[in-house]
Amino acid sequence: MANAFVAAFEILSFGAIIVLIVLGLGIIASMMGIFNFAQGEFVLLGAYITYLAYSKGLPIWAGMVAAPFVVGALGFVLEALIIRRFYAAPIVAMLGTYALGLIIREAVRGLIGGFYLTVPEPIGGSIDIGTIHISAWRFTIIVITLLVMAGCYLLLSRTNFGLRMRATLENPALARASGISTPVMYGATFAFGSALAGLAGALIVPVFSLYADLGLRFLIQGFVAVMVGGVGSFIGPVAGAGVIGTLSAALPWIIAPVVADVLVFVLAIAFIKFRPQGLIAGKGV
Amino acid sequence: MSVVREAIAGDETDDGMVERVAAGEAGKPVEAGRNVLPIVEGVVLVAALLAPLVLQDYLTVFATRVVILALFALSFDLVWGYAGIMSFGQALFFGSAGYGVALLARDLDITNIFLVLPAGTLIGLTFSLLLGGFLLLGRHPSSVIFVSLGTLTGSYAADRLARGWYYLGGQNGIPSIAPMTLGAYEFSEGPAFYYLVLGILVVVYLLCRFLVRSQFGLALAGLRENEQRIAFFGYKAQHLKAIIFTIGGAVAGLAGSLYAFHEGFVWPNMVGVVVSTQVVLYVLFGGSGTLIGAVIGAVIVEGVSFWLSDNYRDIWPIILGVLLLLVILFRPLGLISFVLGERERVGSFGAKIKEARNAP
Repeated sequence: MANAFVAAFEILSFGAIIVLIVLGLGIIASMMGIFNFAQGEFVLLGAYITYLAYSKGLPIWAGMVAAPFVVGALGFVLEALIIRRFYAAPIVAMLGTYALGLIIREAVRGLIGGFYLTVPEPIGGSIDIGTIHISAWRFTIIVITLLVMAGCYLLLSRTNFGLRMRATLENPALARASGISTPVMYGATFAFGSALAGLAGALIVPVFSLYADLGLRFLIQGFVAVMVGGVGSFIGPVAGAGVIGTLSAALPWIIAPVVADVLVFVLAIAFIKFRPQGLIAGKGV
Repeated sequence: MSVVREAIAGDETDDGMVERVAAGEAGKPVEAGRNVLPIVEGVVLVAALLAPLVLQDYLTVFATRVVILALFALSFDLVWGYAGIMSFGQALFFGSAGYGVALLARDLDITNIFLVLPAGTLIGLTFSLLLGGFLLLGRHPSSVIFVSLGTLTGSYAADRLARGWYYLGGQNGIPSIAPMTLGAYEFSEGPAFYYLVLGILVVVYLLCRFLVRSQFGLALAGLRENEQRIAFFGYKAQHLKAIIFTIGGAVAGLAGSLYAFHEGFVWPNMVGVVVSTQVVLYVLFGGSGTLIGAVIGAVIVEGVSFWLSDNYRDIWPIILGVLLLLVILFRPLGLISFVLGERERVGSFGAKIKEARNAP
């Protein structure tokens, strides 16, 4: 019983991490039609900023709060300078963002070297429930993920900003005709997606430690999750991330980890092939 | 005739290229002469032939690797430059063929060149047929995004599998593969190996050139420019894509088996995302859709990387990224577009039609 609970917690916490990472990716992919290959590097930057704050003697919390703002600002600048030119061509956008990601990744690699740098958990220790111990920080990640998800949902579904964002997504021409500045909306969306990636990076760095390929590790899982969930809504990628994250964490408990790893991808691609619209089709929130 | 001229002088809309392709096919090259492409190809060939004579031994070994990678780049150019399929997993075929021939050499002691190279090609062909068939064929045409992410995921999954599978050597791969043999002769690194791979590259290049300049190539170019229109013409667009994807996979397999024997080892990166994106870089740099652009791109990227890696190992990947971004933004047709005009890049297709048919 205790083991099952620990396993469930592990699965849940990994699922939450994937959801957190996919949120930004999914918002950019759904709202802008761009599969951002640099998203993994935004996650890496968030992690790096947290590490930087820690190594300069600042509290880790400060770095974690700063990360989304810094990465979001960078995303805004990059969108205005570079990404903006790619909207017409999704493949070129992939290649262009890949190049951006390469630059960021190698720059960070140059800064930290080939090391695995650890950042301590801001909330250390464990939560004890009877004989069961679960990591307090991982629990915090789950809570924050839920809060961020709820926040994003409310932002998109209940606010004026969210309405304009969705209008821009569904029919850019009509949105422009209605007086919505679509370039501003695209810029804001990209910055928002980048900020979420920065936050994800900041939160996961105590769990995975900092290394240059940190972002790359999650990028492909993130893409697959977005495709499985379905591009075009907010809920779709989140649902996809939940499924992929849970499967990736749960399958190794049942079958050999190597096979499980590959099986998740094979199942996901087969699923997308036969249901291209994804788990949740439609143009809801 | 005036109709043809109008079509050629016509506006530069997205249909312009297709019309010019069609016009070129109707006979009569309008502006004859100024054929830069054969000159570029000739210069590259001569340079490649002379290279081992002037290079030191260790540089010849490096040059051999570059020629093999150029062959690999050629396979990606066929798929992306001509058919417009973004294959982010080209290394899957390259690496699986490498692993295949490494296993042949390790477990069955088969190193005969007439067995291992066809075997590698066949492995690449089989895997690309399976993956391409799955991703490209079917009742509903697959989206470009799905194909590119599907190939990327395939490559990533293969990487993870190779890393975790003990039979394939896990993280370390398969070291010290026996050299490739021809009878009693062993191909070791050096000029002989260099000329072997150069010969193979030239043969494959000529075959590819014939292929993309045939009627099949015309259909492919149409596919790249406007897939829907080609489908309306009655071509089975998905089948064409699957065919060229499979051919590309076979060429990648050939390159992969040569690479495995040249390096003497295979390791998981060879099937993974790193090598997959590397080949995309070559072709983007050189210029997609020209064949020779892929070769030049491979030579430039590898050459500069080799040259800089002694002193600037850390910042070279950053420079590469910046250059790549600049090329994508400002030179989408690659470096070759500095010397090669748009008309020549598109070229003409099929057998030359006799003048008489153009007469009224």
